[in-house]
Amino acid sequence: MPYAVETRDLTRIFAGKRHWLRKPDPEEVERGVGPTTALGGVTVQIPEGELFGLLGPNGAGKTTLIKILCTLLLPTSGEAFVAGHDVTKDVFPIRQRIGMVSGGETTGYGLLTARENIWMFSQFYGVPSKVAKERIDGLMKVFGLWDRRDAKVRTLSTGQRQKMNMVRGFATDPDILFLDEPTLGLDVNAARIIRDYVMKWLKENKGKTVLLTTHYMAEADEMCDRIAIIDNGKILACDTPENLKRTARMDTTFQLEVDALRNTDGFTAIPGVKNFSSKNDIGKNMTHLTFILDGEAPVADILSRIMSQGSKVHSLQKSEPTLEDVFIRMVGRGFE
Amino acid sequence: MREATVRRADLRFRLGLNLRSVVGRAYPRVIGANREPSWLIFEVFLPLLGIAAYVFIYQAFYQAQAAAICPSPCTPTPAQLLALHQAGQNLNALVATVVLGGTMVAFWLNVLWSMASQLYWEKEIGNLQLYMMAPMNRMALLGGMAIGGMFMTSVRALSTLVAGIVVFGVIFSVANPFLLLAVFFVTLIALYGMGMMFASLYLLWGREAWNLSALMEEPIFFSSGMYFPAGGLFSIPTWGPAVAIAGSIVPATFGLDALRQLTLPGTAPLPLLPPVTELEILLVLAVVFLVLARYTLAYLETLAKREGKLTSRHQ
Amino acid sequence: MSTFWRTFKVAAWLGWEMDSNWTEPWLFIIYSIVKPIAAVFILVLMYVVFAAIGNVRPQPLFDFMYVGNAFFIFVGSTLFGTFQVIQSDREWYQTIRYVYISPISFYVYVMGRAVSKIIVASFAVVITLAFGAFVLNPPVPITISWSAVPVFIVSFILGLFCLLAIGITLGGATFLMARHTQTIAEAVPGIFYVFCGVLFPLSVLPGGLSDVGKVIPLTYWFDLSRRLLLPSAELQGIQTGLGGFSDLTILAFLAISSVAFFGLSIAVFKAGEYLARKAGKIDMTTSY
Repeated sequence: MPYAVETRDLTRIFAGKRHWLRKPDPEEVERGVGPTTALGGVTVQIPEGELFGLLGPNGAGKTTLIKILCTLLLPTSGEAFVAGHDVTKDVFPIRQRIGMVSGGETTGYGLLTARENIWMFSQFYGVPSKVAKERIDGLMKVFGLWDRRDAKVRTLSTGQRQKMNMVRGFATDPDILFLDEPTLGLDVNAARIIRDYVMKWLKENKGKTVLLTTHYMAEADEMCDRIAIIDNGKILACDTPENLKRTARMDTTFQLEVDALRNTDGFTAIPGVKNFSSKNDIGKNMTHLTFILDGEAPVADILSRIMSQGSKVHSLQKSEPTLEDVFIRMVGRGFE
Repeated sequence: MREATVRRADLRFRLGLNLRSVVGRAYPRVIGANREPSWLIFEVFLPLLGIAAYVFIYQAFYQAQAAAICPSPCTPTPAQLLALHQAGQNLNALVATVVLGGTMVAFWLNVLWSMASQLYWEKEIGNLQLYMMAPMNRMALLGGMAIGGMFMTSVRALSTLVAGIVVFGVIFSVANPFLLLAVFFVTLIALYGMGMMFASLYLLWGREAWNLSALMEEPIFFSSGMYFPAGGLFSIPTWGPAVAIAGSIVPATFGLDALRQLTLPGTAPLPLLPPVTELEILLVLAVVFLVLARYTLAYLETLAKREGKLTSRHQ
Repeated sequence: MSTFWRTFKVAAWLGWEMDSNWTEPWLFIIYSIVKPIAAVFILVLMYVVFAAIGNVRPQPLFDFMYVGNAFFIFVGSTLFGTFQVIQSDREWYQTIRYVYISPISFYVYVMGRAVSKIIVASFAVVITLAFGAFVLNPPVPITISWSAVPVFIVSFILGLFCLLAIGITLGGATFLMARHTQTIAEAVPGIFYVFCGVLFPLSVLPGGLSDVGKVIPLTYWFDLSRRLLLPSAELQGIQTGLGGFSDLTILAFLAISSVAFFGLSIAVFKAGEYLARKAGKIDMTTSY
């Protein structure tokens, strides 16, 4: 059985701005005008029926990977297959089978109603008009958009617009659905409706596959069968959420709340500190520290280093590892 | 898998898919035009004023000519009467030239702004990526834009024609309506084929292509003879013929010239070639542009995907 | 005042970047010249064709038309430069809400954005006039006496000021309109093309239509610019309908009507802004 999605050593380098008449000078390259590696040798396999998560901070390469898989971008090297077809050569059968919804999208025509917009997109997939309309109506009810079905798109709120995008994604009944940060900026209820429907859809429709990118740890943890952690265009780990957390469980995780620290250098030099992250809470004038430790022995050294800066420790707690801890362990920083 | 979305690649399915896509993309144009009627002012009423300006130029020239033939107060001799009649006929032909040019300008602008550069807008508002990952043919998408825009454009073109006849008193005489219709439709097909070819540039470029469209207004109006007979370019000894030949790549040039000859038999000023020959050339242009459009769209889509510009906004 | 100046400067810089940074400078210069020169060539060819089939050369009329058309480059550029700000910021860049809520005068911001288009248009006008005077055969007899220079400068500034006011009036209206940037750009100058005696004397217009032009300040601007740049003998035989007025009287008409249009522009802009806010249309998107 072919994988729903498979990539082998997938690399994508953006060339940067090019001038017609001259080469960019080295100083420009330094300022980011030159080439950027968005994906550096990504290899993943996603079997049919899986809800696969891609977890990583902004700029990690998640959207680039989705764009390549959706036939919107060509890889610089490596291979990618969707439904067994090569994304660089065999786009027609891929496009018939996929759908994509991105968070924060402002797509659609402002003068059309939500229903009309979705119907229009369904026509690009050859869905018979009657079938499309029935599906759209059903999905609008599920996503709580029924009351706004005849409202012009320009009058929809952010959440309603995103729900409309979700309806668009499902209306063509794709085999493989790419969800790129689908709950970005949504309120708790709207995000919950979307998450629940995606999981229900997968459960009720055998053989459907979802690739979800997110930087919300809890969302990935709750929804995904497997998760790949991606940073700087590289897959750092790929396993079930439980297994990922299990690797972190071999370590000890401590959370500390201390007075704002001026200097966090030097913690990694303490023997037994595998990695740590710090987050400043400017409102409370505090620093939150998360340490991944090899046993509990380094705690004393950590505390003395904190106190040597004149900072007071407000709380110290040993915690169960989360996906964020897994990420910190691998990358040495949190998402924010 | 439900029957409605069975994944197929046969010809019948593809045909249906692309026809649905044409209808799907034409729909917002037609509906949008009905929901926001302000376009009637800008697409129909005000452009008539621009065309009127060109008509008045010829009328001003005519008045100067008439005053030269028979200075005021004028009690014309038979010779002067004949000269005035001839000048009046020339004026009718030139005003008709402007009016027909005005109708063609409507289609040309539709090609430039409502089809070719529309892809840039689609990119900016985020729709392009959804179009480009859908399985329909890109020409079906552009065809939908063209057909949807045709409603507005036809209203503009027709109102120009009616204004020419009613307000400016232009007299057309059609001897061969079938040839006239053939020339008109083949010109449109060639013109929209050319537009589809231009549209491919927008997949790769952003503002560069938008500015290219802007650049293809006045220079094309000039080289295609939208407001004067293109044959007039041959009156300029040095570079005129070169511009005329270069301009004839745009289907509007031969299309307009043929339409002028077919609606002003015997009086169309400075014709280029016989209408039938022009129709033959237009047929060739139509086929060439449509085929080229297909390949350039595919090629530039690949190039844009390689360069990562298919979905990058605000270029 | 310093806020106004700062807004104006930043808006002008932004306008310049948006207009020019899509390509290399030399390509931008070519682009900026080719369009207006092609528009001039259309008129040249209309004249050539008329002369060829009518065996007559109304040269003074051509010179009248040529200079009028050269100055008309300002009309298209300035109007487009102003009214398109609202539509492009709203629908294209979708930045209007952020600019609009910032503590600046949006009116001044729109004016600033048009400056780069005026600079480029000035360049194109000079090239067009130079082309007529030095390349065309027979040449367009463009000259200006030293004594006429102050009047020309005042008239030039008033003309541009008036164009900005008209552009902003239009901008006020576009607050409430769907995206029609390109069609408005093409259509609105047509009003001035017909009614302001740009290409032909107003006497050509039928019925009372020639009176319409007399309430539009640009009519006086075009007339005065031509009077100052073309020999009076050249214009003698042309019935502009303004022949009975002296240059200074025309300048006074221009000044008064410009002030009136400035007031109108503020009123329409504010009204458009108010109605758009009321209808929730300040940051709408309307593409189709």
